[in-house]
Amino acid sequence: MTRFPGGDTISRVEIFLHFDPLLALATIISSRTVYILFLPAVLTIVATFFLGRVACGWVCPMGSIQQFFSFVFKKTKLLRPKKPADNHTLWKYAILIFILVSSLLTLDLVGIFDPFSLLYRSFAISMMPVISYSVSSFIGLIYGLNLLTIGDTLVQFFENLDINAVFLQGLFIGVIFSGIILLNLMRERFWCRYICPLGALLGVVSRWNLLKLKIDTEKCIDCHLCSIQCQMQADPYPIEQWKSSECDYCFTCSAICPTNAISFPGKVAPESIESIDLSRRKVVLTSLLGILAIPFFRISPTRSRASEKLIRPPGALPEEKFLQKCVKCGECMKVCPTNALQPAMTEAGPEGLWTPMLVPEIGYCEYYCSLCTQVCPTGAIKELTIPQKNNLKIGTAWVNKNRCIPWKFGNPCIVCEEHCPVSPKAIKFITVHVEQPDGTIKSAKAPVIDMATCTGCGICENKCPVVDAPAIYVTSVGETRSEKNQVLLDLFQSGEDPY
Amino acid sequence: MKRREFLKDIAIGSLVLNVHPGLFSQGTPPPDIALIQGESPALITKEALAALGGMQRFISRGDIVVVKPNIGWDRTPEQAACTNPEVVQALVELCFDAGAKEVKVMDNPCNPARRTYVRSGIQKAAKSAGADVPLPNDHRLKKLPLHGDILKEWEVYTDFVEADKIINVPIAKTHSLSRLTLGMKNWLGALGGNRNQLHQDIDHAMIDLAAFFKPVLTVMDGYRILLRNGPQGGRLSDVQLHKTVAAGVDYVALDAVGASFFGIKPEEIRFLQIAKEKGRGEIDLEKMTIEKRTI
Repeated sequence: MTRFPGGDTISRVEIFLHFDPLLALATIISSRTVYILFLPAVLTIVATFFLGRVACGWVCPMGSIQQFFSFVFKKTKLLRPKKPADNHTLWKYAILIFILVSSLLTLDLVGIFDPFSLLYRSFAISMMPVISYSVSSFIGLIYGLNLLTIGDTLVQFFENLDINAVFLQGLFIGVIFSGIILLNLMRERFWCRYICPLGALLGVVSRWNLLKLKIDTEKCIDCHLCSIQCQMQADPYPIEQWKSSECDYCFTCSAICPTNAISFPGKVAPESIESIDLSRRKVVLTSLLGILAIPFFRISPTRSRASEKLIRPPGALPEEKFLQKCVKCGECMKVCPTNALQPAMTEAGPEGLWTPMLVPEIGYCEYYCSLCTQVCPTGAIKELTIPQKNNLKIGTAWVNKNRCIPWKFGNPCIVCEEHCPVSPKAIKFITVHVEQPDGTIKSAKAPVIDMATCTGCGICENKCPVVDAPAIYVTSVGETRSEKNQVLLDLFQSGEDPY
Repeated sequence: MKRREFLKDIAIGSLVLNVHPGLFSQGTPPPDIALIQGESPALITKEALAALGGMQRFISRGDIVVVKPNIGWDRTPEQAACTNPEVVQALVELCFDAGAKEVKVMDNPCNPARRTYVRSGIQKAAKSAGADVPLPNDHRLKKLPLHGDILKEWEVYTDFVEADKIINVPIAKTHSLSRLTLGMKNWLGALGGNRNQLHQDIDHAMIDLAAFFKPVLTVMDGYRILLRNGPQGGRLSDVQLHKTVAAGVDYVALDAVGASFFGIKPEEIRFLQIAKEKGRGEIDLEKMTIEKRTI
C-alpha cells in the first residue's frame, strides 16, 4: 500500500511490481533497456521453474481475490461446476504472445493486461476512492448524529490511509475490475484460467517443474470430481490429460478425492509434458495479430503533435520513451499528494490509455514533492531530486483575459500570483484600466506570465476563483522533455538537458 | 454557533477588551504591546507574555484553547512563510502552564495540510508541547453567520468557534494584494469554502474575520520576516532575520506594529486605515504603550 506520512521520501512501495516477470520481460523488450530493478522477478521465474505455478495459487494477490470470490460464489451456490469446462485456456497464451510481439515492435501494452498492474490500478483509481467516498458519507452521518468524538477518530484513521479520492476514470476502471470479478460466476478463477498473461508466461516456464500430479489408479473410482472441482483447468483426470502448466497447486483435487487417490510426489527426474496446446499455426497467427495491431495504435495524431491537456508528471521521459516504459500501474497517481495525476483516456492516444497526466483542475504539482518520480517501477518517470525537478518545466500557464477577474472586470484578485511557488514569481502584474459597462474606468493589478520561470505546476489554475473554466490554465507546451512541443525559439536551448 | 456560546464569547471578549488589565495584575498596568528582541524565538515569546502580565491573564484553568499559527505553505521555517515553530511551541507550553485543559493548533493551509504541517515544523513542535494538531476536517466545516460588514456568512472550521479562547500567531510577510499579511489576514486560514474569492475585497474581508474570531491574544512572529515574493517566498534571500516577537490584545495595534517591521507606516496600509476608521483598534504607534526589550 502506497502511504505517505508527509515527508519528501517514500519507501520502495513499487517493489511488489518488480516480482512480476511479465512486466519485466515486456518492458525490457519494448524499451530495449536492461533493468537491475526487476531482479526480484528472477526469483519468481526460478521458483516457477522448479515448483510450477505455485506463485499463482499461493502468492499472487490477484489470484487470491479471484479465489476469494470464486469461493463466495460457490458457497452461495451462484457457481455450481457440474462438469469439467471446455478448454479455452489458450486465450491467455494468445494474449501473452500478442503482448510480447507488440513489445518487440515497441508498443507496450503489458500494463493493460498484467495482473499486478491491473490490480494496483484498479485499487488506486477505483476501489480505494469508492471506499473513501462510502466512509466519508458514513462519517458525515456520524457527525450528523452529533457523535463528534467517534467522527473525529474515524476521520483521523482514514486520513492516515491517505486515499486520493477523486479520479476521472474511477467508474470505467471499476467496471472492468468488477467485471473480472463477476466472471468468476461462470468459471472458478476465470481470470487465471483464460486471461492472465502472467499466468501464461509462468505456465510456459513451469513445463519442466518437479511437482507432478499422481493418481493411484487402483484407488480411483473415475468419479471426475477432481476435474469438475479443479480451481484452474488442469484436468487432473484422466492423468494423461493433466496439464502442469495450468495447475496452480491448490491441492483441491487431492483434498476432494473420495478415495484419496491423488498425491503430488516430488519427482527428481522432470518429465516434459506437452501440455500447452498451442500449435505452431496459432502462434504464428497471434504473432501476426500483434504485428497488425501496431498501425492501429499508431495512426493517432498524438504521435505527431502534442496534446495541450497531456501534462506529464515531472521526470516523465520524452513521450515515445515514456510510452515504451509506462506500465499504467497507477503508483504515481496513488502517491500524488494533491490527487493531480489522473489516468489518461484519449489524450495520449490509444497506447497511452491510463498513463498518468496532470489535471490542474483536480490538483497541481506540489513544489517540494518528487514522490511520483520515486515510485515509478519502470523508470518511465525518472527519479529526480527536488532541485532537478524544480529546474524543469512540465507545461506553461496562460491567462485567459476574457475570464480573468482583473483583466475582465478591473477588480482585484491575483490569487494565482499568491500561490505561484517559484521565486521570483512566474506570475507578475501589470496595471490594467478596464472600461466598465457604464463607461467608468477601474484599475487593478492583472497577472501576466513569465514564460522562462513558469514550471507549469498548475497551482494557479487549481486555485483560480473562476472555478468552471479557470481564467489561468496550463498546457503542455514548453515541457522540458519535448523538443517539438515548444513555443519560444530560445527556451529549449538554454539550460542543460536533464535526460 | 449557539446563541448561548455567542453571548458567552461576547462577554469574554468585552471583558478582555474593556476591563482594565490592572484589575487582574497587581502593581503597574501591563503595556499595550510587548516588543521583545532576542536570539531564541521561544525565549522572546515567553518574555513577551511575561511582559504582558503572564499567560494566566488570558487563559483560565480548564480552558480549551485554539492556537492559530500560519501554516499556509509547504515551506521550512527558514523560508519564513509559516509561523516559527518555536514560537508556537512556547505558546502551547504557556497555555498548559496557565491551566489550559486542551490546546489545539491548527490551520487550513493553501498547500496540502499533511505536508505543510510537517515541513513547517509546527506539527512536531506543538505535539512535543502536548498540543493536539488536527488536520483541517471538512466534516467540521459549518456555514456560520459572521455579522460582518461585507461577510454575512461563510464556512468556518467549528474548532475555532467551539474553543474557549483563541490565540492568533501570525508571521509578518509581504503580500502583493494587501501589501502585508499579518494578524487579521491570518483568519482566512480558519475558513473553508471558496475563500479565494475573498481576494476581491481582501481588506474588508480580513477586518470582518478578525472581528468575528476575536482572539484573546495576538502574538506577531517577527523572528524571520518575508520581504519579497510573499506570501510564500522560496529563496532565503527573500527572508530577513528580524529576531522580534510582538504580543498584545489589540489585534489592529499588533498589525500596525507588524507593519513597522518592514519600515512601513501603518497609515499607508489600506486595511489598517479602514480598521482604524471602523474603530477596531489603534494604529498610531505613538498612542500605544510599548514595552520594548532585548534579551
